Amino acid sequence: MVVVTREDTRAVVQPSGDTIVAATLPELRSKMRGIVEEGVKDLTVDLANVRMVDSSGIGLLISAHNSLRKVGGQFALIHVSPELMDLFKTMRIHQHFTVSGS
Amino acid sequence: MTHSSRIDCEMRSVMPATLEAIEGFLAELHLRCGAMHDWVNCFTTELLVREALTNAVMHGCGADPARQVQCVLRLRDRGLLIAVMDEGEGFDWRAAFDREGEDFECSGRGISILRAYADRVRYNNKGNAVTIFKRFR
Repeated sequence: MVVVTREDTRAVVQPSGDTIVAATLPELRSKMRGIVEEGVKDLTVDLANVRMVDSSGIGLLISAHNSLRKVGGQFALIHVSPELMDLFKTMRIHQHFTVSGS
Repeated sequence: MTHSSRIDCEMRSVMPATLEAIEGFLAELHLRCGAMHDWVNCFTTELLVREALTNAVMHGCGADPARQVQCVLRLRDRGLLIAVMDEGEGFDWRAAFDREGEDFECSGRGISILRAYADRVRYNNKGNAVTIFKRFR
């Protein structure tokens, strides 16, 4: 189950399971959309337990960032493993929002 | 998986074109990863397999479970070979190779990941079969 910790317009999301990939996207996408629609502007995804993100997962993260940018909000990833950090740097997504390591 | 003096590891599968089938194949790969040689980068191996299979299932076959996807994975002499073929109509991989995706686009990164993490990515003319090679150092 996706865990959400909220405080006013801030929220931290912890995905369920250890992957953000095509097969596991629907639950996380639904939860993140709901949070943004409810008025959260600063959204952080905690990847402490996530070992794999594929291109579909990267697309979801970019989509969340784009949505928050439109409303003047911020998006961030925390506790990113070294392997995922390399992937995000390779795909250049670390240039547009905060990506911090584990 | 088979072991011999020539082939260190080989997995073959014919699976329905579903995301669940991909997860099943990768679960099997994970079970075997622990027994693989220490030169195998399991993250890179899984990422390449995921992207190749997801492309075949989602874009090649439209996630139609009536269609099938074939996958061969072979690890030998520090080399990883992945071959994936689907029953779809194929796609214009040449255009995808030429395409420079924008950083803020939400899709279209699968081919970019394959090309960034593999040493060689080859499609057949039709665009429904891909062979990927990676040498681990």
